[in-house]
Amino acid sequence: MTFSKRSLITLLILGIIIGSAYYFFATRGITYIWHWEKIPEMLFYHGAKSAEDAAPRLRMGILMIGFVLTLKISVFSILFAIIIGTIVGIARLSNEPVTKGLSLAYVELIRNTPLLVQIYIIYFFVGSLLRLSAFAAGTAALSIFAGAYVGEIVRAGIQSIHKGQMEASRSLGMSYAQAMRYIVLPQAFKRIIPPLAGQFISLIKDSSLVSVIALADLMFQGQQAVARTYHAFEIYFTVAFLYLVMTFTLSMATQYIERRLAISD
Amino acid sequence: MIEARNVYKTFKTPDRREVKALVDFSTQIKKGEVVVIIGPSGSGKSTFLRCLNRLEEIDSGEIMIDGVNIYDKKVNINEVREEIGMVFQLFNLFPHKTVVENVTLAQTVVRKRDKAEATEISRGLLHKVGILEKENVYPSQLSGGQQQRVAIARALAMRPKIMMFDEATSALDPEMIGEVLDVMKTLAREGMTMVVVTHEMGFAREVSDRVVFMDEGKIVEEGTAEHFFTNPIHDRTKLFLSQIL
Repeated sequence: MTFSKRSLITLLILGIIIGSAYYFFATRGITYIWHWEKIPEMLFYHGAKSAEDAAPRLRMGILMIGFVLTLKISVFSILFAIIIGTIVGIARLSNEPVTKGLSLAYVELIRNTPLLVQIYIIYFFVGSLLRLSAFAAGTAALSIFAGAYVGEIVRAGIQSIHKGQMEASRSLGMSYAQAMRYIVLPQAFKRIIPPLAGQFISLIKDSSLVSVIALADLMFQGQQAVARTYHAFEIYFTVAFLYLVMTFTLSMATQYIERRLAISD
Repeated sequence: MIEARNVYKTFKTPDRREVKALVDFSTQIKKGEVVVIIGPSGSGKSTFLRCLNRLEEIDSGEIMIDGVNIYDKKVNINEVREEIGMVFQLFNLFPHKTVVENVTLAQTVVRKRDKAEATEISRGLLHKVGILEKENVYPSQLSGGQQQRVAIARALAMRPKIMMFDEATSALDPEMIGEVLDVMKTLAREGMTMVVVTHEMGFAREVSDRVVFMDEGKIVEEGTAEHFFTNPIHDRTKLFLSQIL
């Protein structure tokens, strides 16, 4: 992926805003002594981990461990959300009343209740019944939540494809499933990349809510580090920056895919 | 080859009015026959075409193709459609596929031909419709006439027994109508069974075996193209012809 001029400018503007906010705070603020030197070791450090694991080597610090977990949970949730969303989006357009009703009920139920409540229900209730790990419960909650939104995006995408495309496919003898797979969905997917990107950026940020079920994600580790060192500002700034790294990369990646798919326009 | 018996079809408009598209409609089309259907807009001619491959459901009556009642629940409609090529007013090419992929896709997916064989057939057909040099471009880079010729090649790639044209030249700029009609005339002379909804009376005169004039879901009058030019009987027919000629 080429790191385009536009994304550099975007980063620069972000840097200026954050930098000036920091300068304002650091000079006008009361007496807060900044300890930025404590941050690097929360990302990476060289040395022993514990008495049992004493080999001196490069290890991930607490924030980096959280970063990796957030990344993992986000990637899994995005994949599952795409699968759930595609199925739900197609089901919403079904002529079958049961399929249509169930998918609509799912979308309305999930979209109209808070994610935090869903995480608790899935972890404490469903999770206890099915003996899910916190990671599995957290991923499930995020996937189910984002899946409802993705379903609506997919439905809108499918409906935006001219019905002549389906008719032409069917008139050639393709089944409904073949026409969806080869003709309608590829075109719909191209159109829904921008709203999907927005949804997945939200998902990455919303994943910070799984810290409430003691999943050691980036937010959770940040809170732990603050509790231990009291360097709240430095740590939360770093946590915010690490989220930004993930979301901004996703943003750039989707813009790249969009440009690639634009060749047939 | 095609037989429609007492077909009724009504549409519901968004404001819940009922529009009768086909009323007790019956006709027969023989193998190798080229039938041109004319009529004012809303007369049911496109609906009839779309009923022939079940893009629409009918209220009652039956449509037999090669002796098979295509509205029978036991019939696999996809197999019926493989035998009936359809060309649309708005081309409906697949915009995310190149020209040659447009023609090849259904061959591999539906007819299960292997890619190389299908591509060979596609290139042959693109040559036939005179557009082989554009095989690797996307539809958006083609003119309307070129797109419609690709659409014809795409339908022919299934080796259909019947070809249907739903106002295939109505969306084209005047200077492009000829190139599409030429392809259609070639097909007609090769003996293809064709059902053509069009306002091109020149085409009807040159290659059609029969012209059907429809109004309000019914056949008002039918005969040779010559009959329509020289002595149409009904006033409705005369009025319509005076408007389009």
